[in-house]
Amino acid sequence: MNPLGRREPASGGDAAVRTFHLSKTYLAGHYALHDLTLEVKKGEFVFLTGSSGAGKTTLLKSLFAAERPSEGQVLVLGRNVGRLSERGIAALRRRIGVVFQDFKLLPRRTIEENVRLALDVVGTPRREAKAKVFQRLKQVGLHHRRYHQPMSLSGGEQQRVALARALANDPEVLLADEPTGNLDPDLTIEIMDLIVGASLRGTTVIVATHDHSLIQRYAMRTIRLEGGRLAEDARSGVRR
Amino acid sequence: MRRAVVILAVLLRTALRGLQTSPLPSALASATIAIALVLVGAFSLALGNMDGLIQRFTQDLQVVVYLDPDLSAERQRELLVSVGAFEGVHSAALVSKEEALERFRTTLGGGELLAGLDHNPLPPSLEVELMPEARTEQGIAAVVTAVQSLPGVEELAQGHGWIEGYARATSVARTAGVALGAVLVGAALLIVANTIRLAVYAREDEIEILSLVGAGRVFQRGPFILEGLAQGAVGGAIAISVLYLAFQLLLPQLEFGLSLMTGGARPEFFAPKQALALVGIGALLGGVGSGVALIGWRR
Repeated sequence: MNPLGRREPASGGDAAVRTFHLSKTYLAGHYALHDLTLEVKKGEFVFLTGSSGAGKTTLLKSLFAAERPSEGQVLVLGRNVGRLSERGIAALRRRIGVVFQDFKLLPRRTIEENVRLALDVVGTPRREAKAKVFQRLKQVGLHHRRYHQPMSLSGGEQQRVALARALANDPEVLLADEPTGNLDPDLTIEIMDLIVGASLRGTTVIVATHDHSLIQRYAMRTIRLEGGRLAEDARSGVRR
Repeated sequence: MRRAVVILAVLLRTALRGLQTSPLPSALASATIAIALVLVGAFSLALGNMDGLIQRFTQDLQVVVYLDPDLSAERQRELLVSVGAFEGVHSAALVSKEEALERFRTTLGGGELLAGLDHNPLPPSLEVELMPEARTEQGIAAVVTAVQSLPGVEELAQGHGWIEGYARATSVARTAGVALGAVLVGAALLIVANTIRLAVYAREDEIEILSLVGAGRVFQRGPFILEGLAQGAVGGAIAISVLYLAFQLLLPQLEFGLSLMTGGARPEFFAPKQALALVGIGALLGGVGSGVALIGWRR
């Protein structure tokens, strides 16, 4: 049992995410990710940390197929991301929730509509979708602002909407890129508790963060990247 | 099935929102399609009426065989039977000298002009009605050749010459119309495609976010196709309305000129099915325009 009382995934359990010698280059010879091999099991909670430019965002992008590997392979929920067709990528993304650093909310749509996007793409009937959206917005404390537009919300509130959208569809994997980067300490804890809550319900969670206080507070497996390489995997004790 | 209905509803809502958020480009696309369809529609309306006229006259087409006035009644009847049996002849009727004079009198509206005649100058004749498949230049020529060789036949009159000329003129006009229509439709298609392409660029962020939450190709592109279809249908509806108004307003003023073209037959507007087809063509144009806009576009 970990400090939150959640059961640690069995070591032999299925992997939700695996990378094999994953490398990503944007310019020849300049690696954003370099020979990265790691595994995250189903239901596991992982912090991804490292300084700016360490490759955290590139790794997350590789996991939801926004980037294709230059070398090596990425397996997410059993699918080889580098070989997926356009349709395959869409199908994979419907099983993944992503919280983006810049929120990626549609400015001309209401909060409710933004959260409902994730449910619309899987064909959730309107009434059911509305109920689910209300529930998710209530969880992030924004149900009373569901008919507002994103631009009328603060950065922290927008981040919470982004989280509500990412969790709307009960994803199997939740990827969060600096989800608390714009939040004050109280809100940070609220958001992190929601993310941990999703993990407790069985969602595999990977949170990229600079915030060491978070890592210390939640005491979860932590993968540290440096220059695109795996520098430390605190659960497995790997140090390079 | 239910999922498909839900997704279609979402696509329709998204398309409607797209139209609402960019009313000016949408109106431009509809107006372009409307202009193209008004021109194409006006042309096909004119050609349709010319075609209708040809069909009407062709239906009434007869070959009139004038007989020797001195031919006995018995010989006239024999000729009637012979001609009636020719290939391509549907029926033949004998018009006696007396009957011909009577018709002429009726046509003149009275007998005053004919009062001075001391004898009936009109010959007896056979009015030959052709089978529908024989109402062509070749069919008529075959019947005429066969009838001409019969003894007792003096002269033949057939009205097919001008009809053939009229049909040829219509055919040329139709070819020109198809060419003009193709150019107009092509231009409309390009304008619609560019309008939709601008909409795609304007909403690239939205499409990116849709893609990131797992929206597939249908979800990303469907709304644009639906918008194109709607813009096209609106353009088609505008075109049919403009044509109808123009038809009603201009017809009384152009009636004389048109009557020369159509032989006095009253021009007819599109049948409801044809009007709907024009709206459908507009929708198709819009949809295809959107498809063209999305070719090569990949998020």
